[in-house]
Amino acid sequence: MMDYLYDKTWEGFLTCIHHHYYREPAHDIQPSSTYQHSFTSQATQVETNPEMAEKVYHAIEKKFSGYDQIRLYRGFLSSDPDKEKILLDYLVLGFRKGSSIGMYHGHPVVARFTKMEKKVSFEVHRLQGLVRFSQMTGDILYAPITPDHDVTQLLAHHFCDRFSQENFIMHDTRRAKALVSSQGEYVITTFTPDDLPPLSQEEKQVRALWKTYFETIAIKQRTNRKCQRNFMPVRYWQHLTEITTPLEESPLEAWENSHPSSPLIPDSD
Amino acid sequence: MEPQILEKLTLLAEGAKYDVSCSSSGVGRRNQGGLGSASSAGICHSWSRDGRCISLLKVLLSNHCVYDCAYCVNRRSNAIPRTAFEPRELAELTFSFYRRNYIEGLFLSSAVDGSPDQTAERMVESLRLLRREYSFGGYIHAKIIPGIDPVLVHQLGLLADRLSINLEVPSPEGLARLAPQKKPSAIFSPMRQITGTLMGQRSLSGPGTMFKNKPASPLASLGGGDSFFLPEEEGKKANFPSLTRQETFAPAGQTTQMMVGASGESDQQILLTSEKLYHTFLVKRVYFSAYVPLVDSPILPSLYSKPPLAREHRLYQADWLLRFYGFEASELFTDKETNLDPELDPKITWALRNIHHFPMEINKVTFEELLRIPGVGVQSALRIMNQRKVSHVQYEDLKRIGVVLKRAKFFLTCNGKYYGGRDVVPEYIRAQELKTAQGLLNEDKIRGRLIPPEDPQISWLQDNTTGLLRHSLFPELTGGTQ
Repeated sequence: MMDYLYDKTWEGFLTCIHHHYYREPAHDIQPSSTYQHSFTSQATQVETNPEMAEKVYHAIEKKFSGYDQIRLYRGFLSSDPDKEKILLDYLVLGFRKGSSIGMYHGHPVVARFTKMEKKVSFEVHRLQGLVRFSQMTGDILYAPITPDHDVTQLLAHHFCDRFSQENFIMHDTRRAKALVSSQGEYVITTFTPDDLPPLSQEEKQVRALWKTYFETIAIKQRTNRKCQRNFMPVRYWQHLTEITTPLEESPLEAWENSHPSSPLIPDSD
Repeated sequence: MEPQILEKLTLLAEGAKYDVSCSSSGVGRRNQGGLGSASSAGICHSWSRDGRCISLLKVLLSNHCVYDCAYCVNRRSNAIPRTAFEPRELAELTFSFYRRNYIEGLFLSSAVDGSPDQTAERMVESLRLLRREYSFGGYIHAKIIPGIDPVLVHQLGLLADRLSINLEVPSPEGLARLAPQKKPSAIFSPMRQITGTLMGQRSLSGPGTMFKNKPASPLASLGGGDSFFLPEEEGKKANFPSLTRQETFAPAGQTTQMMVGASGESDQQILLTSEKLYHTFLVKRVYFSAYVPLVDSPILPSLYSKPPLAREHRLYQADWLLRFYGFEASELFTDKETNLDPELDPKITWALRNIHHFPMEINKVTFEELLRIPGVGVQSALRIMNQRKVSHVQYEDLKRIGVVLKRAKFFLTCNGKYYGGRDVVPEYIRAQELKTAQGLLNEDKIRGRLIPPEDPQISWLQDNTTGLLRHSLFPELTGGTQ
């Protein structure tokens, strides 16, 4: 049994799978940059081989399904420290069971993979709502994001279609990469926000409007911060303009002060 | 943008916030060359302090109102500042929010400014500006004001993705008392028209049409003696504008909403009315809104009463049973129990009352039967069916499949073995379930996230007393006969 070390690319990972079948069975697959050597394990550095990777990639489609191919790739974008092992187990089981692999919902290997893949897909869905663009001078929209998983690429299709007339940059601050899109076309590239133009004049006003709307729309009598945090975990708040914008002189409070008759329950926290 | 827009936005959002629906689901549409698209699953963009999602910019076009509905914050006799959006202001606002990804679209409602028709005309004008001049392709939900001309309903439907007409009060008596200017027939006519047009377009699908025993011809199913639901022109041949080939009418269908706790209806009445709306008009959703007292009125709950959030939560659970689990409203109640059990969810209550169906063998029963097991949801049931095609389902698999075993173990056998401990006795199971509910375990955690902790209806004292009562009954019941 061998621990294969690879270069963190999808192709590199698929090459390891090829080696698992044609050289020596893999005990685990790990990125070489973070691998901890030990006395009991044997490790080999795997050279990424595009042909082997492609062979495995097509085999997945043929033996499993096109749907599983996409799911496996999504799983690969997870930041789970054990993702390679989880994917390896799923692949090994899948090559044995064939296209029915997706039906073994109760199998521990399948359940573990499904759980991991679901976290990635769910974050993609969540971010489709939670991304906040800011209007910079020079007709550019800029949005910083800090996702748990490497989902920038999975967001591209949705945003490039929706904002196909716009120029925008969606910047993953944790991974220093960005989705740069203009008129519906996009590239994903390394990115540092050093030469980013300043916020436009209008931006401050729109944020104030949004903040006002956000505060007004809540029903005081139903205040439930726990429920809010449950749907929108605090780790996403850093980029939400409705949270970060200070509420200066709140028109909401002014309105409430002029109408003392309405009984308001104080916030629970 | 003008400074007064901030004030307008505050007032007009304040007036619209008691409307429940904020969903942006039901229509998938790619960008048509302007700004925006629609995602069929719907996308929530934020959650406000009350834990409700913000998906759409929910505002009134105007809060000037000629009506005087007792429960409403915008009623004529309420002394609040009045204002209205200019169509361009609203379009500008929607556009600048949308391109920053703040919102999924616009929810446009209005108080009755002048007359229903005048108001609807201004809504059409605003939406047309947004769709045509601003090439806005995002989601639009438009509120239909009861009593407007069918032509205006039609025009709104061509511009919006979803339409809704609020029933607000689930019974004719309540409606007459609380909203004397609204007539049931004026509410059901546009509902009927929308359903009729959608059927003509052959685009009725989704929850509203998923019922097993749905009538072959929904609109015709109105029986005699059910005059509440009869639209105005019943009997006459309906004459609605027809669609040309290119036009799309409200592709995401229609919804409605009812208040809970304002007019004294039982849960049974509310759910029977909901079911009727699903069957007759094939509405996508019936929303419930726990009544938030805003007005000091002798015919309404006191200003200091809290909104019945726990009750609203149970009603939504029951609504899910109707829409996704194949339940009928009548199954959830008995002659004595016309309200849902506040302590346990309606599915367990049903199961305990019909204990003769249980335990069910996970590896044998049909999909419909699986859905009846408390703790088994639609997803888990589908997964169980799927796995059964390739292998037996073991008890250990169930947790990984997503079944809530803490609840389900009393109601199922797996390969012939029962895991619920003692015999299948409703009183015993109920006591166990209540223990789970009170023991700060799963049920409580879930409820705690959905409803605020200070709500008196779930105070421990109340739960404990009834819980203890049940416990003390239990030894006599099981000791003797079983």
